[in-house]
Amino acid sequence: MTDTRSPILQGTLDLMVLKTLEQMGPLHGYGIARRIEQVGQDALVVNQGTVYLCLVRLVQKKWIRAQWGTSENNRKAKFYSLTAAGRRQLQAETENWERVSGVIGRVLQPAAGR
Amino acid sequence: MATFLRVMMARLRGHLRRDDLDRDFDQELAAHLAMAEEDKVRRGMTREEARRAARVELGGLTQLREASRDARGLPWIDTLWLDLKLGLRMLRKSWGLTLVGGLAMTVVIGTGAVVFAVFDLVFAGSLPLDDGDRVVAIQTWDDRGHRRRDTSMPDFERWRDALRSVEDVGAFRTVERSLARTDGAAGEPVLIAEMTASGFELARVPPLLGRPLVEEDERDAADPVVVIGYDVWQSRFAADPAVIGRTVRLGDTVHTVVGVMPEGFAFPINHRFWTPLKAARSGSLPDGEGETGVVFARLAPGVTLEGAEAELATLGLLPPAVAAESDEELRPRVLPYTFAMAGDLERGDVLWMIRIVLLAVTLLLVPPCANVAILVYARTVTRQEEFAARYALGASRGRIVGQLFIETLLLAAGAAGVALVLARFALRLARASIDQELSGGAPFWMDFTLSVETVLFVAGLAVIAAVIAGLVPALKATGGQMLSGLRALSGRTGMRLGATWTALVVAQVALSLAALPSAVEMVWGTIRKGVLGPGFAAEEFLTARLEMDRESPAGLADPPAAAVRFAAVQAELVRRLTAEPGVSGATVAAAVPGEEPWAVIEVDGVPLPDGGIFAAHNLVRFNRVDDVFFDVFDVPLLAGRGFGAGDFEPAGTAVLVNQTFVRDLIGDASPLGRRIRYLRKRGVPAEPESPTWYEIVGVVADLPAHATGGTMYHPLAPGQTHPASLALRAGSTSAVTAKRLREIAMALDPALRVDEVLALDEVYRENEVGNNVGALSLAMVTLSVLLLSAAGIYALMSFTVNRRRREIGIRCALGAQPHHVFSGIFRRAFGQLAVGAAGGILVAAFLSYYLPVEAVGGWDVPGAIPAATLFMVMVGLLAAAGPARRGLRVEPTEALREG
Repeated sequence: MTDTRSPILQGTLDLMVLKTLEQMGPLHGYGIARRIEQVGQDALVVNQGTVYLCLVRLVQKKWIRAQWGTSENNRKAKFYSLTAAGRRQLQAETENWERVSGVIGRVLQPAAGR
Repeated sequence: MATFLRVMMARLRGHLRRDDLDRDFDQELAAHLAMAEEDKVRRGMTREEARRAARVELGGLTQLREASRDARGLPWIDTLWLDLKLGLRMLRKSWGLTLVGGLAMTVVIGTGAVVFAVFDLVFAGSLPLDDGDRVVAIQTWDDRGHRRRDTSMPDFERWRDALRSVEDVGAFRTVERSLARTDGAAGEPVLIAEMTASGFELARVPPLLGRPLVEEDERDAADPVVVIGYDVWQSRFAADPAVIGRTVRLGDTVHTVVGVMPEGFAFPINHRFWTPLKAARSGSLPDGEGETGVVFARLAPGVTLEGAEAELATLGLLPPAVAAESDEELRPRVLPYTFAMAGDLERGDVLWMIRIVLLAVTLLLVPPCANVAILVYARTVTRQEEFAARYALGASRGRIVGQLFIETLLLAAGAAGVALVLARFALRLARASIDQELSGGAPFWMDFTLSVETVLFVAGLAVIAAVIAGLVPALKATGGQMLSGLRALSGRTGMRLGATWTALVVAQVALSLAALPSAVEMVWGTIRKGVLGPGFAAEEFLTARLEMDRESPAGLADPPAAAVRFAAVQAELVRRLTAEPGVSGATVAAAVPGEEPWAVIEVDGVPLPDGGIFAAHNLVRFNRVDDVFFDVFDVPLLAGRGFGAGDFEPAGTAVLVNQTFVRDLIGDASPLGRRIRYLRKRGVPAEPESPTWYEIVGVVADLPAHATGGTMYHPLAPGQTHPASLALRAGSTSAVTAKRLREIAMALDPALRVDEVLALDEVYRENEVGNNVGALSLAMVTLSVLLLSAAGIYALMSFTVNRRRREIGIRCALGAQPHHVFSGIFRRAFGQLAVGAAGGILVAAFLSYYLPVEAVGGWDVPGAIPAATLFMVMVGLLAAAGPARRGLRVEPTEALREG
């Protein structure tokens, strides 16, 4: 049996975390990790620990901010939310991603355009 | 960039609040695990299963914590701090290496620091004026002769009127005048800038009192006026607020003070007096005395130096009024002002020269650092076990190499610190010597503090030194050898000492032994005079320089008349001074005894030695002295006769020589009646067409004693030399006499300048300072070379002992006498030492025969070579003693167990 799940591409975790926060609003680390797994429909290997490292990086860049709050089942958890700078960054990175993936797609399927 | 800064700030905060954030992160992870567990329980797992699955999904907690700590804070600070602590500990532990390596590095980095600081001082200055770096000098440059030529007056006027790329064009020249107060008090020589009024506009510094010079002052008919500096106002006019309108006499002319400049103002160079430049008459910009006038200007806003140069090139020079010398190729050029003042130099050439010298200084790091590298390598080998263990425990090669690098970097940093202190000291010496050389003191833009550039350069040298001395051996010692290092945990195979560097140690022993005698003779030659003293009561003598103002009526126009006036004034001065109480004699010479200029001579009938005119034998000092010189200095006549009245005629050819002259050049034969002629005086060949032969008529004792070479004396009639050196025997009254000397001179002739009034022992002491610094530097260099070779021997011995511990152990266990075993093992090392020593003796003998150090100021020390050999062998034995003791203490059982 071969494993068909793909590792997350270098650098794309940031984008996924930002996008998740944009869609879901303030969310804790566990929620973010679960959400990415669900959207990826188990086709992605998400090391949940690396999500936290990613969150540290994003907070340092001030693209997201963190705040202690209470979770849906009344547990103390740290909630992350998008900042204005993060929103701009997401916008820019999404465009960039689309452009790059478009190019890659065309390169891989050169016949499709004809 | 902004994001990077944000991240760095966040990391810095994270580093400072490490513990808080660690707790915070733990709580977050705990919350994560709890939520994941509940989730999974809800989906039907047992609590036990859920907990395990949640942990697996999150990953290793310890690694995650480490990774987040690294991501949040500045992990390398901790690493660096640890390495620094380890490094300091290691430096303390292997103090021998620290001492030897540190000294060697200090010597080379110190050399680099001093060279850079001096370059920086001379070439990198910019004027501390408003927009001072836009001030330029405009020169008439001779491309073929590579020198500055006089700028013609029409050219200057055209530059001033036509150039658009520069403004405030002006000129100055420096003249020296004796300054007297109108009340007739004693005069002293001062430097005056004769400057166009535009100089004050260019400087953009308003006067403190009164007005600056204005264009009307430059008219021929204008009254003589002077602007004075703050210091002069303070000292000469007691800060009189009503100084404007008072008068001051400079040379023969009385000037009215019209302005006082604020403190520190010394434009154009180091001036405290400014008088108008009344130039507009003659063909060329007036000469300063021996100096061409300088044209200055300020670049117009927005114009670059190149722009101004281009406009100037278009404008060109007017065809000279007098036909130019055929070999001249004149063009105008623009230079940064401070650079132009550094000398007649081509900018491109200087930049290249600086680059090459700095490169050479950097390359100078290689030999001593390579030596230190060998020592570090040898020590790293002995620390093999430590590194192997750390490697086994998970340290990366990079970490280990990093740590070794930090160790040598610390060493190099220490050396760099000392080097900076040396550079500061050198700058202070430079200031002292510039103050002494330039009357008026150093140029006002020269900054004698250590510049940021110097500090950066020295830091760069330190890093390079650390790379050579630490990084290279660390890489070599850890590369590919770690595994054998691991084996070394149990055995002692490990690394061996390459033949190359064994040879290097041998060569180094030879080299230091070869250099040692010459170095000792050099040092002794340099400090000998200072240590042994002048041999007479120099403190009883007062010397001074006598000179006439050239501005005086009898001055420039009519040289013979000037000489007559000088002769008369001089004779009268000597007569009056001799009559002073306390003064037992006064004499005039061309130079202060012991400070005479050098010349290369030929003695008739004594063949020129091989090596021609550069041989030490033919280098002698020469002086011209009056009839009482030898009496005043109590110099006895040893043979022949003294100067008679007839010798003082202009055509006289009689000379006296001192004992050393006879010993060095003539030997046992009789010197009387021998003929001498000059080949070179002060480095310039004497005229070949009419070489005058002089005849030795007598021999006198050495003055001062312990001279490094011979001296010959010509007779001097009053007025024949200008300036002249006056010497007074004043006993203990020299302070009073100095004052009287100035007063008498002033009363005699206001144009007579009395300068550099110093006790003779002071003159000697001042010269000794430079000598002592030179000798000390040489001694330091020699010592560091010596220590490096001792350290090389030490490392060689250590290696041998370490490598053969087992063998020693086994042989001792089998019943061999430890001493016996030991001598067998060291025979080879001693053999190498002997080879090195023998080679060294050969080279030393060769050097002393073909390159006599006496030629460059050394002094023959008998027995220097055997003494140096003995010393070197002693050093070698001492260096070997430590490892040898360790070798003898090898316990057989222990050594065998290690196998």
